[in-house]
Amino acid sequence: MSLDDDFLEDDEMNMINVDEAASDSEAESLSDSDNEITEKLAEPTKTAVYNRDGLLDKLQDISWPEDVDWTHKLTVEIDQGPQAVDVNDDLAREMAFYTQALEGTRQAFLKLQEMGLPFLRPADYYAEMVKSDTHMEKVKSKLLYEKKQMEEAEERRKARDNKKMAKEVQSQKMKERAKQKKDEIESVKKWRKQRQQSGFSEKGGGAGELDLEFNNGKSFQRGGGKKRPGVSPGDRSGGKGKAASRMGNKKREFRDSKFGHGGRKGLSKQNTAETTNDFKGGFRGGKAGGGNKRQKR
Amino acid sequence: MGKKRKHSETESAAPPKKDDSAPERPKRTLLGWKDKTQDAEEPKPAPEFRNKEKVLVTCSRRISFRYRHLMLNIVSLLPHCKKDSKVEAKSSKGATLNELVELKGSSSCLFFECRKHKDLYMWMVKSPSGPSVKFLVNAVHTMEELKLTGNHLKGSRPLLTFSSNFDKDVHWKLLKEMLTQVFGIPKEHRKSKPYHDHVFAFSIVDDHIWFRNYQISVPHNEADKVARGGLDKMTLVEVGPRFCLNPIKIFGGSFGGPTLYENPFYVSPNQIRALEKRNKAGKFAKKIKAKTRKKMHEISNPLEPDEFADMWKDDE
Repeated sequence: MSLDDDFLEDDEMNMINVDEAASDSEAESLSDSDNEITEKLAEPTKTAVYNRDGLLDKLQDISWPEDVDWTHKLTVEIDQGPQAVDVNDDLAREMAFYTQALEGTRQAFLKLQEMGLPFLRPADYYAEMVKSDTHMEKVKSKLLYEKKQMEEAEERRKARDNKKMAKEVQSQKMKERAKQKKDEIESVKKWRKQRQQSGFSEKGGGAGELDLEFNNGKSFQRGGGKKRPGVSPGDRSGGKGKAASRMGNKKREFRDSKFGHGGRKGLSKQNTAETTNDFKGGFRGGKAGGGNKRQKR
Repeated sequence: MGKKRKHSETESAAPPKKDDSAPERPKRTLLGWKDKTQDAEEPKPAPEFRNKEKVLVTCSRRISFRYRHLMLNIVSLLPHCKKDSKVEAKSSKGATLNELVELKGSSSCLFFECRKHKDLYMWMVKSPSGPSVKFLVNAVHTMEELKLTGNHLKGSRPLLTFSSNFDKDVHWKLLKEMLTQVFGIPKEHRKSKPYHDHVFAFSIVDDHIWFRNYQISVPHNEADKVARGGLDKMTLVEVGPRFCLNPIKIFGGSFGGPTLYENPFYVSPNQIRALEKRNKAGKFAKKIKAKTRKKMHEISNPLEPDEFADMWKDDE
């Protein structure tokens, strides 16, 4: 099979068969969609042959006998419904075909079930399918690709929204902080003015008048209170490498903290609380340590 | 490929149609064997109807890729068909094709004729003396398109659904009968597979016959019973191919004969193209006419000389 896979351009799926509303004359205005142009004449040509009897005769000729079992024909007739389907409306047209097929299958299945014939394919029935496996792989990959595109678009949209919101929140915070700062400065100024006005009297207990709350009772934290768990001053990995390296190997973790990213800062030859009483020295992490020592040649 | 299950495996579940009881042992009496021949004198049952349809599928030369793929798709859908090599353009006349059909021993034929590399005509013919129909095929989508995601057993018998307006008029009835015979796979055909897992939908919309092929997916555990409420959860996935047939003429003989029906609304694609060209051609002539008209108008109504035309002349 040649590789004409993605035949389907979007405009081809759209209306190809055009039924033009007629003007009085025979000449129609045309709308061409792709290469397929069809149209219907306004009035039927008067000279069209319609030999009803002949047709009936032929029908009798070729028909199968009347009492033929339904299982030979497997035909079901479905009513299209009172409303004529609009040919140009793709979705409605396809829906009509789909419902016709669905109804038909339902009726047929009921009949088959009554007859007791097997008609559903068991799950373990493997046989040649009308489309090859490789083709179905392509179909699957295309579906997955489309799904991924959609998800990515969703994510991008969400990220954009979040960013917008975050920006708003941040601007709010900045405003608040600025306001607070201004307020505090104002209050200090006011207090100074007050003191000036009351002539620097020591009556009310000087420092006690300063009724201001600095920091609202919060203690000062260097770095703005950002907490990165597990970071010690001597650590050179920046506190970020921890989560990944913690997964699993304790020994790896130890070695990373000892030698990774340039090694420990420098207190390696000084005792810590834990190592004061270790006389044999070194990591005592079970077998792994001993095994490694043996492998070293 | 794995071992194919023989038909017998599935047939065993089906109850026997006729009472094919094995000849019983003759009754033993004192006088000897008494045959049950008296009782067994049933009237011979009418010969079982056997659908011996064989379709020959061919195309003309210079058929384009899309239509060739459509033909190949149809060949894979119909296990009772036989694909033949391309026929020469000269010989797409009645006689030669009839001979070909006779030679292959088929009872009907689907002949795809591609004209000018653009239009596809399909002939559906019932062989010895049957009627034949010529269709114009539109809106072709083959099974290779990735948007048609369904799949079904190759050669499994389809359920055929027709819209009710096939019974409204004689020519539609004839077409319905022909479609049933050509597209319906004979019951115990060698190459047919047992289960029914796809459905054809033929509908008449706007005086065209639209064809769709859907795969049936319904949750089930047993082969002959749908799970409770399963019918409601049934979904159809389109397998393809898709096409739209516009009947042009119905003839009384195969590939010719007296015209029994002519579609009054049919406009041949050549005429449409010619009309378009004529419209376009008209454009240039109209333009020329408009130009000459403008000239005439200007000559007959000359403008007054402009007062300010010489204002800047001295300034150079």
